[in-house]
Parts: sequence; structure tokens; C-alpha cells
Amino acid sequence: MKLIIDNLSKTYSNGVKALQNISLEIPTGMFGLLGPNGAGKSTLMRTIATLQEADSGYISLGNIDVLKQKNELRQVLGYLPQQFGLYPKISAEVLLNHFAVLKGITHKGERKNLVDSLLHKTNLYDVKKQNLKGYSGGMKQRFGIAQALLNNPKLLIVDEPTAGLDPLERNRFYNVLSELGEQTVIILSTHIVDDVKELCTNMAIINQGQVCLKGNPLQILENLKGRVYKKTIEKLELKAYKQDYKVISEKLFLGKPTIHILSDANPGDGFSLINAELEDVYFSEIFNNTNAKSI
Amino acid sequence: MWYNIFKFEIQYRIKRADTYVFFLFLFLFSIVGVDFIFQGSDMGLMKKNSPIVIAKTMGAITGLFMILASMIMGVSVLRDFEYHIESLIFTTPINKKDYLLGRFLGSFTVLLFAFTGILFGMILGEFMPWHNPEHLLAFNALIYVKMFIMITLPTLFFGASLFFVTGALTRNLVVVYTQGIIVFVIFMLTKAITNDFWQAILDPFSLTTTTFVTKSWSTLTKSTQEIPFIGVLLYNKLFWVAIGIIAMIYGYKKFNFNVVKEKKAKKNQKLVIKRTNEVNDVVIPQVKKQYGLLSKWNQLKQFTWFYFTSIFKQSSFWGIVICGMIIILINSVNLGTVYGVDSYPATYFIVEELKETSMYFFIVLLVFYSGELVWKERGAKLDLIYDATPMSNFIKLLGKYIGLNLIYVVLIFALIGSGIIFQTLNGYYKYEFQVYLSGFFLEILPFLALYTCIAFFIQSIVNHKFLGIMLVIVFFIANIVLGLFGFDHDLYFFGGSALGAYSDMNGYGHFFKPYLIIKAYWFLFGMLLLIIGSLVNVRGVETNVWKRIKASKNRLSKPLFILTTMVCLLFITIGSFIFYNTNVLNAYWTNSKATDFRVTYEKELKQFEYIPQPKIVAVNLQVELYPTTRDYTVEGYYILKNNATEDIKSIHIQKFIEENITLDTISFEGGFTIDNKYGKFDYSIFILNAALKPGDVIKMHFKQSFTTKGFESGNSNVNINNNGTFFNNTDLPTIGYTKKYELNDADTRKEYSLPIRIHTANRNDLNELKNARNGSDSDGINFEMIIGTSKDQTALAPGNLLRKWTENNRNYFHYKMKKTMINFYAIVSAEYEIKKDEWITSQDSIAKTVDLEIYFHKAHNYNIDRMMTSMKASLTYFSNNFGPYQYEQLRIMEFPRYAEFAQSFPGTIPFSEAIGFVLDIDDKKDVDMAFYVTAHEIAHQWFGMQVEAANVKGRLTILETLSQYAAIMVLKQHYSEEKVFQFLETQKENYKKGKDREDAKEPSLALVEDQDYIYYAKGVINMYEFQKVIGEENVNKALRYFLKDWNTTNGKLKMNTDRYATTQDLLDYFREVTPESNQYLITDLFEKVKPLKL
Repeated sequence: MKLIIDNLSKTYSNGVKALQNISLEIPTGMFGLLGPNGAGKSTLMRTIATLQEADSGYISLGNIDVLKQKNELRQVLGYLPQQFGLYPKISAEVLLNHFAVLKGITHKGERKNLVDSLLHKTNLYDVKKQNLKGYSGGMKQRFGIAQALLNNPKLLIVDEPTAGLDPLERNRFYNVLSELGEQTVIILSTHIVDDVKELCTNMAIINQGQVCLKGNPLQILENLKGRVYKKTIEKLELKAYKQDYKVISEKLFLGKPTIHILSDANPGDGFSLINAELEDVYFSEIFNNTNAKSI
Repeated sequence: MWYNIFKFEIQYRIKRADTYVFFLFLFLFSIVGVDFIFQGSDMGLMKKNSPIVIAKTMGAITGLFMILASMIMGVSVLRDFEYHIESLIFTTPINKKDYLLGRFLGSFTVLLFAFTGILFGMILGEFMPWHNPEHLLAFNALIYVKMFIMITLPTLFFGASLFFVTGALTRNLVVVYTQGIIVFVIFMLTKAITNDFWQAILDPFSLTTTTFVTKSWSTLTKSTQEIPFIGVLLYNKLFWVAIGIIAMIYGYKKFNFNVVKEKKAKKNQKLVIKRTNEVNDVVIPQVKKQYGLLSKWNQLKQFTWFYFTSIFKQSSFWGIVICGMIIILINSVNLGTVYGVDSYPATYFIVEELKETSMYFFIVLLVFYSGELVWKERGAKLDLIYDATPMSNFIKLLGKYIGLNLIYVVLIFALIGSGIIFQTLNGYYKYEFQVYLSGFFLEILPFLALYTCIAFFIQSIVNHKFLGIMLVIVFFIANIVLGLFGFDHDLYFFGGSALGAYSDMNGYGHFFKPYLIIKAYWFLFGMLLLIIGSLVNVRGVETNVWKRIKASKNRLSKPLFILTTMVCLLFITIGSFIFYNTNVLNAYWTNSKATDFRVTYEKELKQFEYIPQPKIVAVNLQVELYPTTRDYTVEGYYILKNNATEDIKSIHIQKFIEENITLDTISFEGGFTIDNKYGKFDYSIFILNAALKPGDVIKMHFKQSFTTKGFESGNSNVNINNNGTFFNNTDLPTIGYTKKYELNDADTRKEYSLPIRIHTANRNDLNELKNARNGSDSDGINFEMIIGTSKDQTALAPGNLLRKWTENNRNYFHYKMKKTMINFYAIVSAEYEIKKDEWITSQDSIAKTVDLEIYFHKAHNYNIDRMMTSMKASLTYFSNNFGPYQYEQLRIMEFPRYAEFAQSFPGTIPFSEAIGFVLDIDDKKDVDMAFYVTAHEIAHQWFGMQVEAANVKGRLTILETLSQYAAIMVLKQHYSEEKVFQFLETQKENYKKGKDREDAKEPSLALVEDQDYIYYAKGVINMYEFQKVIGEENVNKALRYFLKDWNTTNGKLKMNTDRYATTQDLLDYFREVTPESNQYLITDLFEKVKPLKL
């Protein structure tokens, strides 16, 4: 089972090109979709999740033509949107049961077992009778993944699931995800590089509606090996450095800017070679991409 | 600082479409405002732009759309919470006063802007082409502005304050929507206040207030005078403004800048999870997933229940339920009131009352909750999760639809409950559950269910909740307006016509089956709307309506396609079946077609109005009634006599114009040929082979059938019923031109260039002096009739019952009147209980027995004894004072409540089920109206049956005023004078009401035409006054002589003239018995128009 995206394009009526000829092949396992805010991640995710029409292109999951056979896809789809609310005056158990019915789980006894075990799994069992109004961000997000898993999906799409979660909650969330095994295509969109690093076997970076890079995180890191240098500089110098080098990221460290640059040869000048992190890949790709655009 | 907030509020609203939608809505509605608010009420002399009409219309529109005010004001503060920016705003250094004041003034300004739509709309409305300039005063914009400031502004301020505060304090959108209802409930509650003054003060929309202010004004003053802003009106406005201010102060005190409501926050903190690390060992079981029909069915149940409970749990819903119950308990105090006497709280009265008062609540539920439900997922931001599941759009929408209908059912049961409580409190224990259930589940629920389809459809298409709500309301109004303009064929008038009235005697009768069929037709249409709605509904993030329509074809799944095809086919089939019934089996007449018919009828046939024609002198008919199939045949003959001085060569016969009635055969002795030139009017001219010489008679044989074919659009014939048939001889063939088919409405006549219609001829009109009624074709007949009817029914006609037998499982009755009687007889048939008695009189020392019989529906035995008492008392008084009773029997027969009157025929009085039979008469506080109405009708056996009046002005004074007088004399004799005064008091009210509606100059009693407020109400008052001055004995003496001289069959004067009596004749008799000193009184009371004395 593979999810194949072929030449997918979408332009909004206000002229924004949200997706431009996106082609991806996504095998089972966790796939990270990395990109800055507004890169088109959500548009891509929603299009795969049958919630949005594409202008052109093709998506298939196994032998399901996603853009045409929407209902067939929905039968094997789990989707956790970037933002969602919950009915305040309903308990988790009731709402989860409600969604289970929507997903075609007809048998009452089976449904109850399933709902209970998912509530256990997402550690919400103790509060299953409570109204959703009082749920914290983490609990809410775990509820979201519980509903996405109800139909034992073959394709699971989670759109920026950890935004706003504290580290503990984030870990809990990923524990649940990581257990899903290798039978499922899981697409995780995020702008947090660490998420991908920790979880994903495959990844793609998209920016401004285009795929900049795709592949295995380890292989990708291999490409940058020996090319990333770091230096801590003064604030005033920043502009000059940006002109002279390919600065792919700048961060504050103890109040002073630390810059990472990309260079095939050792630039000297106080720069030291570092082990490239996935973050550097991310930033370098975005750097390339935006620069290419602006030229 | 507050000014900045004010400015911001205005700027924010200026950019929002809602602001203009509200304005436009009020503007468009107000253009037809006056017509809508005053539809169906007779405005009389009142002009359509009289200050009081403007004031009332503004008050009513403001009241009706208070809900808009709550939408504008309620969201002002709530918005911050809804968009989650309260934390940003409340942490800025603004203070509470500035914040609230700025917001309030800002949204109040916007509110004022929106409601000026009323002002401009009404002004524009005055110039609409459909107004007759005669119904308008000169245009004066200032009046509109004044009324707007006086009436609408204070109400708006009150509403604005209240809604603003509730919105800010509850922070709940649904509460904001529903609070408009609360104000409406207050309004309804004020209607129950019996003290006029307090009612006027407390009415939030000043409707009763303006009535109170102008109570003592003359019609002319009312029509032109401005309403002064003093006294009650001022207090009323001050009161409500004060309430508004109090609400504001309360709101100011209570409102605080805390983002979280404290109490609830505590509760939420309890959510702590203890076990955190037991997650790993959970195995998620494998379950079967099904997407077939069974699973769809399960999903439907799930959705239905889910959405049902989501509303059921809301406190605002229960607010509506409780308001509805309370209103019923207060409002249904007066049920089925006739002549100031209430009826027993029979279930059908309660149901009608419940239906009427609860409609508003149902519509609010419908309009708002349909919006809520369609938007529920999106409102909770859960839509994407829903949309990514393999659920069917249609199943979801259908689930919401059924859920909302279940909500109606809850309200229905609550209302039924309160109805039963009301009955119990009034000591009435005959709860007829099937009447409750059928009243609600056959009438209200289908109506709501259909409009809910519309609401869901609109909400699904437009993708804007407020706009959707507006459009639903617009649809409601548009449909009503369409109906008013006569576009009401059941095939295209949405929902079809309402179910006919429920009668204890006839149940829902023959209305029921077509009603169900038409409802099924519309329900299928509704299903199609739901299906379309579900296909075009927003799913995912695409909101553009064209893109959704384009995408909808991919959404049509196979099962849904099959369902749609089936619904379509069934819709077309039933539609064709209805069309076959209403337009093929029966003719459907549009309003304009009917008008055209009347116009050409008059233009082509008026020439024959007074041509010499023979008169009917004998009637001998065999009637076969078939109540189950609602058919009849009438076969037999008239004997016609030439009373004229010249030969009559051709006889003009008018068949009663009704689709169901056919004249199967008609023939004249001695041979004839037919001229069918006017066949399109069912008007045939029979040219006799041998002319009818003066004084000669000719036999006219005919057979007429009434055949019920299928069903008609709208309300069908209510005279021929399954139980309770009642029709009279005007349905049978008549001779010559029939004036009643003429077009009556003065304006329409002008349009078609017809001359002004003379309703009633002058007292010197030689033609009409010879007629006792319009187009009279007889001066008295001998009557004989055999009626057959079904086995369970009794059939009645005038005359002695010669024989009664059963044949072919049918009941037959043979009646023959032994004396000449007027050509006016009714045929009545129903299942009856019979109460019999007799009355013995000794006239000329020969004892004579009159059989008294009351035929009534078996449950209606409440007032039979009162009626019987009245029969005896009346016969005694009238025969002692006016002359002998002419027949050997007197019968009262109950007929269904489709009409509300009693009517006298020779020796027989059909009496509607709605008046008298079910009155709950309390002798301490009520006038015994069953007694009175009976007496009045019996008086007609003298005034109407013995003496007939010429068909000229004043005719109804002779027939009705004298009967009123006679009846009140019996009432006085049998009860006390106090009761008489109580009755006269109600007549005074009627007179005043009638006078207010009158748009022409009031005629005197002597020249009255068809103004019932004069010949009934003023007539009885003046007659009472008259007898008080000159003495009851003297009046009776005058009447006795009048009857003797003008009796149709043997009157001394009547025998020597071919004309009938007029008021001129009557007043001569009055003058004779009146002393010189009081002669002026006759002029004052009967010939002049003077204010009432009493």
C-alpha cells in the first residue's frame, strides 16, 4: 500500500498558488511533511483527506483514486485536522461512540470495546464521562487521535498535532502514533523539525507550494555532512555575514546570534564545522527555495 | 475613551453584510407592512396612512422583529468571546464603563440604522400602486418620523438594553436568539390583563396602548388625528424605557472583565488523570466496519438522537417550552366565545387555541434551530473531522431533520399537557386524546416538517447562517403573500392548504383524504429539497456555491440516486394524481378567471333581470342523499304560474353554478326547444311550444345531481357532508337572472368598467318592491318532499312527516306542508339524538298541538333544555302578542360548525354546532344565549315566514330588527331586566365595532342595507328604547296589525297588491300606536341617524 501523489496543483481564487506540481510517493510508516507556516502543508493534507478539490493532478492509495472515490478513501482514512473544537457539553465517551457510528462500526458491543480501548490507549479512560469542555489542550489532542484511529485507518493524516502541547503531552501523543506499526500510511505535518527526526522514516520539505526535498532523514543528513559551519557573532555583524555567506539559520545563544552557514569548503574566519542536524536541512532548503524565488 | 470604542464598533459593523441585510429586510417588509399587519381586518373609514394605522403597524413590525434587535445587540459583547479575543481586550487599560457604553451606543446606532428600514419602507409603501388613493390621506412624511420616534424608538431602546445585557452576561448565542421570544411572551401576557388601563401601560409594543388612547375618538378623528404623546402612551413608553435603564444598570453591576466564569472554572479543574503510564499494553480490537444500508440506518438513528438531545438539553429550548405552556394557560381563558358567552373547553377549542398561540414558538424553533443544526459542526469547529468520515451527507442532514422534528414533538406534548391541565382546572374531564393528537400531528407537525425542509435547504445552500435565517423568514412571508394574491393552488402553493375545521359532528370529514395526499406530495418535494441540500452542502473547505454545485454530482452515491429517482417518480405520480383531481375531474378557478366570469355574466345577462317570468307555486321533489359518497339526486317538479299580464314564451333557468352539480334532465309540459346561447353561464332559455297565458300553470320536471368527483384544490363544498348535510333550495334550479353572481367589489367593478352596483334598491323601486328577495322566483309554494338518506341518518325538510320507512337499507321520510309557505326550504341530514316535546295552544277555543323537536349531535346535550324552554316561551309570547303560529311542528336541527349561524325556514331551524349547543352558560354571569338565539329564530316564523319584506332598503329591519325585538321581549319575560341590559350592552359594543369598520355614511334603520351592526345591534337597542317609552303592549299591537295586513298568504293589504311591505309601511303602524307627544321618537329612532341613547 502506497500513497501516490502525482503532479498535484491548486491555486486559490485570490491567486495564491497553494500547491504546485506536487509529486510524492509515500510508503507505509510515518512520513513527515515539514514546512514553514503557509507552505501549503494543510492544503495538501486536506486535499488528501478529501476535504478540498485540486485543480489538477492525481492521488491514489492502493487502488483508490482519492480525488474521485472520496467515500472509498474515507472508509480507510483517519484524519486529525490542525485545528478543531469539541462539543462542550458532551462526554468523550459519547462523542467517540458517535464518531464510531459514523465510521461504520455498527455492532454495539464491538463499538463499546473499541471506544473503551481507545480511551485507555489515549489515557482518557478516567475522564471519559466528563464533559469535553474541561479538557486541556493535550487531552483534546489525544481525543482527536482516538477518533482518527476508530476505523483502523490505512491512511492516517495528522496535521500539526503537537502545536501548543507541552513536551510531556507531546511525547504521550507520539507514543500513541508510533505504536501504529508499519501497516498504515501516516502523514504527519509539522513545522517542528524534531518531530520528524524522532518519528519519521521518510520525509519531505515543502515550501511555497512546492516540494523542495524528499527522502529518508538519515540520507538527507548524509548530504549535508561536512558542509555546515557555525559561528557566534555580534548583532551588528549579522548583515555583513548574510551578504558574504549562505546563512541558513540564525539563533540566539546566550543573547548573541549564532549563525549556521552552508559551505562546501571550510570558510575559516572563526567558523567551526558541526554535525548537520535535520533542522539545518530544513533551513537550508527553505533558504535555497526563497532565494531562488527572489532572484 | 468610550468614543473610540463606539467608533470602532461602528466601523466594524459598517463593513459587515448583516447590517445591510437587516436594514434591507425591514425595508422590504415594511413596504407591505400596513397591508400585512392589517390583512383581513376591515379598516372601514380608517385610511391606510392614518397616524393610528402607522403607529400600530410600526409597533407590530418592531415587535415581530424584536428578534433582529437581539441579533444586533446581543452579539455586541458576545462577539469578543466568540472570537476569543476577550483576553486581549480585557487586559487593555480601558475601563468597564467606557467599554460597555461604547459598545452599547455603537450597536444601538447600528440598530437604529437597521430599523429605519421600517420608516423608509413604510413611506415607500404608501406610494405602491396597489393602494387605492381613496384609502389614503395626503402624504405626510412627518407623521412617519413622529410615529417612529414615539413608538419604535422607545421600544427599541428597551429591547436594545435588555438584549445587550443578556448577551454580555450569558455569553451564549442561543440565549441571544431566543430572548426575542421572551419579549413576545411578555406581550402575550399583557393580552390577558383584563384592566384596559394596565394593559395599555404594560404592552411593550404599544398596540393596545394606541387603541386605549383613541378609544373614545370618533372614526373620523381616529382616521386623521395625530396620537398625542401624553397620558397612557407616555407612561407606557416611560415604563419600558425605565425597564431598559434598569436592565443596563444591572448589567453594568454584574459584568466583569474576567475571561473565565469563576464557578464553572472550578468544576473543570477536577479533570486530573491519575494513571499516566498504562497506555502501552492496550490492544485495540479489530472491529467490523459496515457501509451498507443497515449501517446507514444505524447512523440515521444515531444522528437523530444525537441532534435531538443536543437541543433537548439546552435551557433556551426549555425556556420556549415553558413560555408556550404558560401562554396557553393564560390565553385560553376565553374559548369559542359567542355573544360574550364562553363555550365548554372542548378539546377542539383548546387545540385551535393552542395551534394559534403556539405557532410563533414553533416558528422560532424552526427558524433558529434549523440554522443551529446545519451549522452545528462548523460552529464547534468539528466539521473537518465529520467531513473526513465515510458518513453520507444525506443521512446526516436527514438525522438533523428528524431530530428537529422530534423537538417539535416534545413541545407538542408539553402543549397537550398544558391543555389537559387547563381542562382539568375548568372541571372538564372529556379529554379527547385523538383530537389532541390529530390536531397536532396531522396539522401542525406536517406544516412544520415541510417548512423545516425549506429551512434546511436554504441553510445548506447559502452558507451564511444569518442570511439563511433571513431567507427562511422571507420565504414564510412570501408564501403568505402569494396566498393572499390568490396563487393558492395546492400544486404550487407551498405546503398546500390547511386542513379544514374539525367538527364534533363530522370530524375532519371529506377534507382529510385530499389533505393527506397533498401533504404527501409536498413532503416528497421536501425530501427532494433535503437531498439537493445534502448534495450541495459544504463538505470540506470549499464554500463557493458554484463549485459545490459542480462537485455535487460526484456525491450522488448509488443508493441515494435510487432514492432520489424513487422520490422523483412518486412526486410526479402524486402530483399528476392531484392535478387530475383538482383540474381534470374538477375545474380549478383562479381568482381572475372567477372575476372574468362574473363580469361577463353581468354584461351579457343583466338584460334579463326583470323580464316577465312565471313564479314557482308548487314544489314536489324526491331527494336521495348518499352521505358516504357525498352525492345526491333531486328529481321531481315545480309548478310554475304566469302571474304576469302578458304571455310568457320562454322560461329562463339558471342552474346553480358549481362544478359538482349537474342538471341531468329538464322538461316542460307541452313541448319546448332549448336556446343554449348562454350555456357557459349554465343559463338556459326554454322556448315553449305554446306560450304560457296569464294565470296558466305549467309543470317543470327536472333532475339534478350532485356528484363528488375526486377532490378539489383548497376548501371544497362544506354543505354536503358525510355527517351533517345542510343545503337549501337556492342550490336547485332557479328562474331568471341571478344577482348574486355579480361582481361585488367596487374597485374591481371600476377596473372592468361596470356601473356602480346598487346593493339594495330604493324603497320606490317598482321591480324590487314585488320581490321578497334577490331574483325572487316565487310568492309562496305548496311543498312536498320525500328524502332518502343512509340508514344511520335522519333527514329533515319543512312540513308534516307523513310517513317514515326503511327501504334498501336506507331511511326515507315523506314531508308535506299543509299550508302555503315561502319558497325557502332546507334539506338537512345527520346522525341525530332527538329531544321531543309539545306545545299546546288554544286558538279560537280550539286546542292545537305543535310538535317540538330538537335534533342534536349526541355529545351536545348541554343546552337542549334551555332551547326547549325557549321554544315554548317564544311560541307562547309570540302567538299571544303577534298572532297564531302557522305550522304544526317546530324543529331545531344541529349542523356542523363550518358556518356559525342559525337560520329559520318554515317550521325548521338549522342551528350551527358552534353557537348555542356547546356554550357553557353560567346563569349568574352570562346571558342565556342558547335561549336568546332560539327565540330570535322562532321570531322569524312570524317576521320572515308570515310577513315578507320587499327587497328594498329597510328590508332587514323588518326581518331582523323585529325578530331581535321579539326575542328580547321573551328574554325579559323569562329572565330579568338586568340580563336584558347585559345583552344590550354587548349589542352596543357590536354597534360601535361595526360603525368603526363602516366606510360609507351610516344609514338609518328605515333605509338599512346589509349593515348587521345596524339592523341587529342598533335595531334591538332602539326597539327596546321605543317600547320603553310607548309601552310593550302598544308595540306588540302595532306589530300584530302589521302582520295581519301584510301576511304573505292572507294579509288584508297584501292580497290587494303585488308588492311587499317596506319600513315605510311598518313605521305607519308604529305611528298609529304612538301618542302625538312621542311621534318625534319614531323619526329619531328609525328615520334619522342619531347616537345610541342607552
